[in-house]
Amino acid sequence: MSHLKLALLLVSNLALAAVPVGCSDKPAKPPPLKELLVKKVTADLSKAEPGAAYWRDAGGGEVTLIAQPMIAPRPEKVTTSSLLVQAVHDGKQVAFRLRWKDPERSEAGRLGEFSDALALEFPLADGPLPPVMMGAPGMPVHLFHWRAQYQRDKEKGKPAVADLYPNMSIDMYPLEFKGAKGGTEAEAEAFSPGRAAGNPQAYSKTGVDEIVAEGFSTSSVMEGHGSQAHGDWKDGEWSLVIVRPLAIEGGSTLKPGQKGNIAFAVWQGGQGEVGSRKSLTMVWTPVSVQ
Amino acid sequence: MSKVKNWQLGREVEYPYDESRPKRQWAIVFDLNKCIACQTCTLACKTTWTSGKGQEYMFWNNVETKPWGGYPLAWDLRILEKLGRQDWGKNGEYLGKTLVEAAPPTERVLHFAPSDEDWMYPNVGEDDCAGAPVDGGGHVQKLPHDKWMFYLPRTCAHCTYPACLAACPRKAIYKREEDGIVLIDQTRCKGYGECVRACPYKKSMYNPYTRVSEKCVGCYPAVEEGIQPQCVVNCIGKIRVMGFINPPWKARDDNPVDYLVHKKKIALPYYPQLGLEPNIYYIPPVHADPEYLRQMFGPHVDEAIAAYKQLLEDPVAAGLLCLMGSTDRIMHRFEVQKGEAIGYDAAGTELVRVPVTEHVYERAAFDDKLGAVRHNTP
Ligand code: SF4
Ligand code: SF4
Ligand code: SF4
Repeated sequence: MSHLKLALLLVSNLALAAVPVGCSDKPAKPPPLKELLVKKVTADLSKAEPGAAYWRDAGGGEVTLIAQPMIAPRPEKVTTSSLLVQAVHDGKQVAFRLRWKDPERSEAGRLGEFSDALALEFPLADGPLPPVMMGAPGMPVHLFHWRAQYQRDKEKGKPAVADLYPNMSIDMYPLEFKGAKGGTEAEAEAFSPGRAAGNPQAYSKTGVDEIVAEGFSTSSVMEGHGSQAHGDWKDGEWSLVIVRPLAIEGGSTLKPGQKGNIAFAVWQGGQGEVGSRKSLTMVWTPVSVQ
Repeated sequence: MSKVKNWQLGREVEYPYDESRPKRQWAIVFDLNKCIACQTCTLACKTTWTSGKGQEYMFWNNVETKPWGGYPLAWDLRILEKLGRQDWGKNGEYLGKTLVEAAPPTERVLHFAPSDEDWMYPNVGEDDCAGAPVDGGGHVQKLPHDKWMFYLPRTCAHCTYPACLAACPRKAIYKREEDGIVLIDQTRCKGYGECVRACPYKKSMYNPYTRVSEKCVGCYPAVEEGIQPQCVVNCIGKIRVMGFINPPWKARDDNPVDYLVHKKKIALPYYPQLGLEPNIYYIPPVHADPEYLRQMFGPHVDEAIAAYKQLLEDPVAAGLLCLMGSTDRIMHRFEVQKGEAIGYDAAGTELVRVPVTEHVYERAAFDDKLGAVRHNTP
């Protein structure tokens, strides 16, 4: 990369100045996102569709992400510096389309493999804005966490061991061998600690997890509210839509004609990113619902 | 970052949380001179805890041949190499950096991440000898041997300053106040694998079926009942004893683990320089290369071996070694009197009584009454 380009990149990342870029035959660079306008559309938003026609005029813009800087373990450098964000609503559902560059599609599975992922964050309740990084005690945040891994669960079912390790051989599992009487599901689950303990991670996912957090290290999966997600990866770019209800009782709520706030985090599984190793926005982005 | 006391290093070390020692600290002592790598311990653990899906290659207890074996592959070489120089001072204080102290600002702990394949050869290097080629036969009349290997059985060390716990950003790992056992909360773990990266001993493992991490649970349900762990009570070689260790400033001479570690100083922690204050202790093998042993067990290893060789002259120590493997229950206290070693539980009830020297019976080679030739097989 030339020094000039590097300098331009730094400047644009810091959003210090409008940078003149490109010539006219390239697609226009989306503007930096100061406020996310959620356009009202007449369309069926109940399905997450990254390729739907309504996205063409949905507006939106680019947000700048940085490497999570607050708590270790954290990335040494940012992997996803730019995220293109759009949003529409139909009076009931609100859909967000997120696009970012990721050179490889990663879905996790075996040890040491991690999934591409994205999270949207909203303040859970009205009142003073919680700290953008995971909220604080008494100031909860509400997250919608999509993972490529969870999407695969939804489409193909949670992988069995034989899907992950097709060439592995095993003599037998408890309750599952020739002539065994088998057992109840609960008896079988006693041999899978995460499942026996009811950890949501150990069960098939529906694409997106709803999470509540009140500070670092406190996030936990909550009962979902029918949110949907679908991502397509093509030519080194993810195009993902997350749909959620505008209003969620006991959760974050966006109201037509009113303002709200949103924040973003992205993980590149292929770069070993998971948990606190992520790229994120360090400020809330204001949202205005049409 | 807090400063915490690490008696194994003779100095304070850095740790992300304050010093908070449990009421009791789970510990196992292994006599490496007696391990025969029968893997009964490994299977005792496996059949008890890890026979399920996603645990196929998971061995919370494993036994590897040193120096060439390692599960996962080369776990020891890779973290030692990363840490760099590890010097000790004249008074046994550690001059180098611990894994927490050597961590770059972006990490909690200096670590290496094993690959999936690294876990797939749990018994690699078995019985491979070091020192020189053995094609022409070996000479083992001298100690230490010039051609050597030894077996190293390993469980989680339920460290006083666990790297796995330090590294978990979800705080899903905790150390129990009542016995110091370190557990991964199976309801909170999200499978980030930070503990798998961070534990230098590689005793935190990932289950790809449940998608959460798991580790040796110290057989806590047994320990709560006053019973020693499965890998201890099933040990064929009777090389192990599990008990509770005190820090040196609270050590009690009649506590079996304190006696071996603090009083006789014949049992040592392994790779103490990593800074976690691990709580599995080894009586080092007398025949192995001293340079290698110093790297693994620290600067006191020569004294430990010398003391071990004098055991026959010490009926108390010899008696305690006879108690190893003689009871399933946890011994909180022991004594040796009138040629017998006696173990007691927490309430002071006698658990077991064994002769320090086995009685010798001499019988005629032919049993007239049965009309049969006697032989020595017990
Ligand atoms: S040995 Fe490893 S897994 Fe066990 S407590 Fe220590 S750091 Fe954690
Ligand atoms: S203490 Fe129990 S869980 Fe840990 S290695 Fe031994 S048998 Fe396995
Ligand atoms: S059961 Fe005992 S002797 Fe056998 S391998 Fe395990 S520790 Fe060694």
